[in-house]
Parts: sequence; C-alpha cells; structure tokens
Amino acid sequence: MASEAKTTTAKRSESDRRQRRGMLAALINRPEIGATVGLLLLLIFLGVVAGNVVYNPLGIKNNLSIISQLGIIATGAALLMIAGEFDLSIGSMIGFAGMSMAMMLKWGLPFGLGEATPFAAFTITLCMTLAIGCLIGNIVVRSGLSSFIVTLAFLFILRGLTEVCFRTFNEGSTQISGLPDFKESDWFAYLFGGETFQWLFDFLYWIGWNVNRLGNQWVTGLDARFAWWLAISVAAYIVLSRSQLGNWIYATGGNREAALANGVPTRKVKIGLFMFTAFCATVFAACQVFDTNTADAAKGNLKELEAIAAAVVGGAILTGGFGTVIGVVLGALIFGLVQNAVFYIPWIDGSYYRVFLGTVLLIAAFSNENIRKRVTGGL
Amino acid sequence: MSAATRPVIRIENLVKRFGGFTALNGVSLDVYPGEVHALLGDNGAGKSTLIKTLAGVFPPTEGTISVDEKAVNFRSPRDASDAGIGTVYQDLALNGLASVTRNFFMGRELFVGPPIFGLMRMAEMDRITREEMLKLGIDISDPSQAVGTMSGGQRQTLAIARAIHFGAKVLILDEPTSALGQKQQMEVLKTIKRVRDLGHIAIILITHNEVHAELIADRFTFLSLGEVIGAGTNADLDSADMRRLMAGGAELAHLSEELATTS
Ligand SMILES: Nc1ncnc2c1ncn2[C@@H]1O[C@H](COP(=O)(O)OP(=O)(O)O)[C@@H](O)[C@H]1O
Ligand SMILES: [Mg+2]
Repeated sequence: MASEAKTTTAKRSESDRRQRRGMLAALINRPEIGATVGLLLLLIFLGVVAGNVVYNPLGIKNNLSIISQLGIIATGAALLMIAGEFDLSIGSMIGFAGMSMAMMLKWGLPFGLGEATPFAAFTITLCMTLAIGCLIGNIVVRSGLSSFIVTLAFLFILRGLTEVCFRTFNEGSTQISGLPDFKESDWFAYLFGGETFQWLFDFLYWIGWNVNRLGNQWVTGLDARFAWWLAISVAAYIVLSRSQLGNWIYATGGNREAALANGVPTRKVKIGLFMFTAFCATVFAACQVFDTNTADAAKGNLKELEAIAAAVVGGAILTGGFGTVIGVVLGALIFGLVQNAVFYIPWIDGSYYRVFLGTVLLIAAFSNENIRKRVTGGL
Repeated sequence: MSAATRPVIRIENLVKRFGGFTALNGVSLDVYPGEVHALLGDNGAGKSTLIKTLAGVFPPTEGTISVDEKAVNFRSPRDASDAGIGTVYQDLALNGLASVTRNFFMGRELFVGPPIFGLMRMAEMDRITREEMLKLGIDISDPSQAVGTMSGGQRQTLAIARAIHFGAKVLILDEPTSALGQKQQMEVLKTIKRVRDLGHIAIILITHNEVHAELIADRFTFLSLGEVIGAGTNADLDSADMRRLMAGGAELAHLSEELATTS
C-alpha cells in the first residue's frame, strides 16, 4: 500500500491539488453548511427571546407539526428540482386531495357505492392524484414545454376543479367540517391523524419534564405527520444518495443529454418524480383531513412556493443536478420554526414570516450558486 | 508497427448519400487493434459522416462494415456500442456537477438488490473508477470529486476510460484535442498512446491537426470530398506527403504530376 502511494503521487497533476485543502474546504463545499449555521443561530435566537415557549414538550410538538407538514412536500419538490423540473401545482393538489377525501368520507363513495372507509377514501384519492402527477409529467416530457408553465396551468386547473366539486356536490359550500373523528375508531385514519412517539413523551413524563400544572402528563405524543416526514425523508435520502435511481436523478438534472447518451431513462425519472410530488401532497392532505376532520377549498394555497423555498435552502438550484435531502430537512426546520415563532412572539408582526422567507430564499440562492461555481470550477 | 494481422473493423466501398448529395463515395479502410488510425481531411471531407455511419447513427447507402470479419448492420447507436464500438464525442457526455465515479457508471451503476431502487456498491465503483483511470495515467485521489473540477484532458480521459471499461474494442475519438489548450492537448495525446499500448483496442482518431496525427498515429487515411485520396502507415508517408494530402484533392493532381516527373 505504502509503496503504491509513493509511486502514484509522482504522477499527480493539476486538479488533484484541489483535494489537498483538507476537511474545512470539503465542509464548506457541502450544500448544507449555510443552512446548518442558520438553523443554529435561529435556535439560539428563539431560546433567548422565547425559550420558555419553544423548549418545552408542547412547544416541540407544535413546532414539529408545522415543520413536518412543510418537510413532506418540500422533499417531493426538492427531488423534482434536482432532476431539473419544477412543480407549482403542489398546493392545489393538496386542496384537491383534501376535498376528494373529505367528500367521500361525508357523502360516500362515488356512483352510490356506499359508505367510504378512511382507507377507501385515501386509496381512491391517491390513485387520482398519482394519475394527475403522471399526466403532468407526460405533458412536460413530451411537449418539451417548461414545467413552470405546465404546472402553473395545473395550479389553476386543480384549484378550480376543487371549488367546482365542492359547490356541485357539497350543497354549495366550499368547506366540510364536523366529520366523524375517524382517528379514534379507525387504525388507518390514526396513521395520518393520530399520534406518534408517545413512548418518548411517556419517558419525558417519567423523568419529570413533561408535567402540567396539575401534576399529570402534559403532552401525549407528536402528530402522526412527523412520522410521515421522517419516513419520507429517510426514504428520499437513501434513494437519492445511495440508490441507482438517485444517480439517475442527479444525472437527469445535471446534464440531460449526457444522461440520455449513457442510457438513463430521463423521461421515466421525471414522470416518476412528478408522481412523487403528487404523493407527498396527498399525504399532506390526509394528515390534515384526519387530524382536523375538516376540508376547505382553499387548503394548501401557496404551499408549493414554501416547499420550493425549503428545497432551495436544501441546495436545489433551478437548473437541476444539485441538492440534498439533509439540506431540505434543514430548510423545513428553519421555515417551520419561524412560521410558528411569529405566533408566540407577540412583538413580531406575523407577516414578517414572509419577509424572512423571502430573505432566506435569496441568501440560499446566492450561496447555492457560489457552491455550484466552486464545485464545477466556475463552469 | 503492430503485430496484429486481422483488422477489427473493415470498411469496404462505403457510400453514403443524403438525398442527391454524396457525402461518402466508396470509402474503404481497415482498423487494427493496438493501432491509432488517424482520419484526416478538410472540413466537409466526410469524416464525421464516416464515423457516424460506423457508430450506427446513419445506415450506409452502399458498402459493408465488418467487425471481426463478420458483416454488421447497425440500426442504432446501441447496436454499435453492443458490438464494441465506443464513440467519444466532443461533449463527452459527462455531468460536471456529479462525482467522477457517478459519471463513470452513469446509467450502468453496480448495485445490490432490485434494479432502480437497488443500493449502489459505491466502494467497489470508486475502486474500479480509480483503477481504470490509473491505467490511462490519471491518478484520481478522490473519486468523489466533481467532474467539473477536472481539467479538460482529465475529462477526456474519463470518457475514454469509461468507454473502454464498458467493452469498447474500437474507440472513435472525434477531434479530441480541438477544444483544449496546448498542455492539455499533450495530456490527451499521452492518454491515447496509453490506450494504444494496452494492445487490444483500436483507435480511430479524427483530427485536423497533422502534427498530432504524425506524433501518435500508426496508420493514416486522408479524405477529400468523400473519397480516400491517400492512405498508408507511418513508415510509408513522410511529413511532406502528409502536408500535401492534408491540403486536399486539388493538390493531389499536382502531387502525382510531381511524383511522375521525379521518378
Ligand atoms: N445529415 C446530413 N444531411 C445532409 N448532408 C449532410 C449531412 N451530414 C453531413 N452532410 C454533408 O456531408 C458533407 C460531409 O460532412 P462531414 O462528414 O460533417 O464532414 P467533416 O466532418 O469531414 O467536416 C458535408 O458537405 C455536409 O454538408
Ligand atoms: Mg466533422
């Protein structure tokens, strides 16, 4: 080994020198570095101004609920952006899926096929949203139109259809509320609307931290959506960084011509990822419907833009080929924390959340561009 | 020069017409393993058409192409690459944002488990990438470095090493030095020489630069206006012949007159 090293170093040249800059340089080239620093600063800031509200069991539960919700759709948006495409229809897809599930739960299955169980309502809805995702993907790859335009069209089409369906089948109202509390009686509804990680909160009670004023256990568990976010993030991480498909996703977004020339099925990759964002939107909607037992035609409005913002914090660039799941997790944490913080910090106007979001987006975009230039040597 | 006696590729009387336009008019040439065959000629001579026909992009109008003495009929670039003809085009088909290893195995990843969702055998892929690059004289100390950080010459080497690893017996290089600086041109020529020294691979080198061709080629074919105007081995041709042939068909008449008067 040692002698091999000696003989080979003599032949090294030029760009190999880049490798000798050590750990620090390698760390700075990670797309997640900026987001990590930002998150740490944010956590310190929240601790200083509102530590008593954030760092307690209820604060953790509430924050993770909002973070998970954003994280679920941001993961879908990020994978698609890494493959070089874009989905503006996520928010409308959430509204559509929520409408579809709530409508079946309230009025029964279509064509008078009787009562709908939560499982049936979810499965039928998922089939529809996956089909729409597949349609969007096919239009994009076949027409060669920008996915920005195609999905913008579906942003309008799906939102409009959702409203029309409500007015037609729901006695003119664009809301459904007061559905039975399915999560109490149905295991499938509990998967989306119930709780998870109860053991952790039992443990926190046991060590004496999770106790309310009456001396009983305070918080019983996290919202189920946290488990979905965790599962989707872990799966996406493994797929993107370890699997063959992950290499195809990076190749498709990085240089489509090269990917095609090497036999990567770029069209299928893209269509599959449009279906994956539709899946994420459907999970988002199911968590909302089975948690609150309500649906509303306006649900999910503007969520696509928050998802894309979180993906950009995760290192995704508009031209594709770049970004990581860990970065998206950090992006969701940052935006979720701030979105929630403006509610419990009274001296901050809630609308500052948007100002913050826009500012962070801009900073992230600049830093991504810098990292991209450094990684590609300014190509 | 080479001990090989049987050509790996034999092209006989190849004709390619685009409608009424004859791009190739009866071209014949043989390519031997372990040799660099330089294909030279002015712009529009038909070099690209010839290699695209060989690479399965166009079907020939007339004539035959044989690989290992069997006539072949390529219907697509896939057919050609399955038969062992690897083409390295100028854009190299690389993704600058991804790592060397990810590029080397792009679309042909090694994995465990089911296809598509199977996990890549990254350590093994890194090792193979390093070894294959080392065979061509480039030591990539970190195969996870982005291709964008490599020099133009190293990228060329990566594309060549990839083609060889995935079974190319014949390597077609289309103007590999044209977009590079002086130093990197030399790097690429060294890489080509190393490929030749492997012994079992035939290289077709398309170039404008007769100096480069003279440096590393064993055999030459000069094309002009779709026809072969001169061919020979390094021993047959001297620099003066080459420069004249490079100048094209117009000079050929002049050249043969000159030869006739001197003999
Ligand atoms: N697809 C095509 N259709 C029509 N004519 C073509 C096509 N490809 C090449 N040609 C013509 O064939 C001739 C030879 O071109 P080419 O093989 O590209 O030459 P070279 O690569 O030697 O410069 C040129 O006159 C060119 O215009
Ligand atoms: Mg050409």
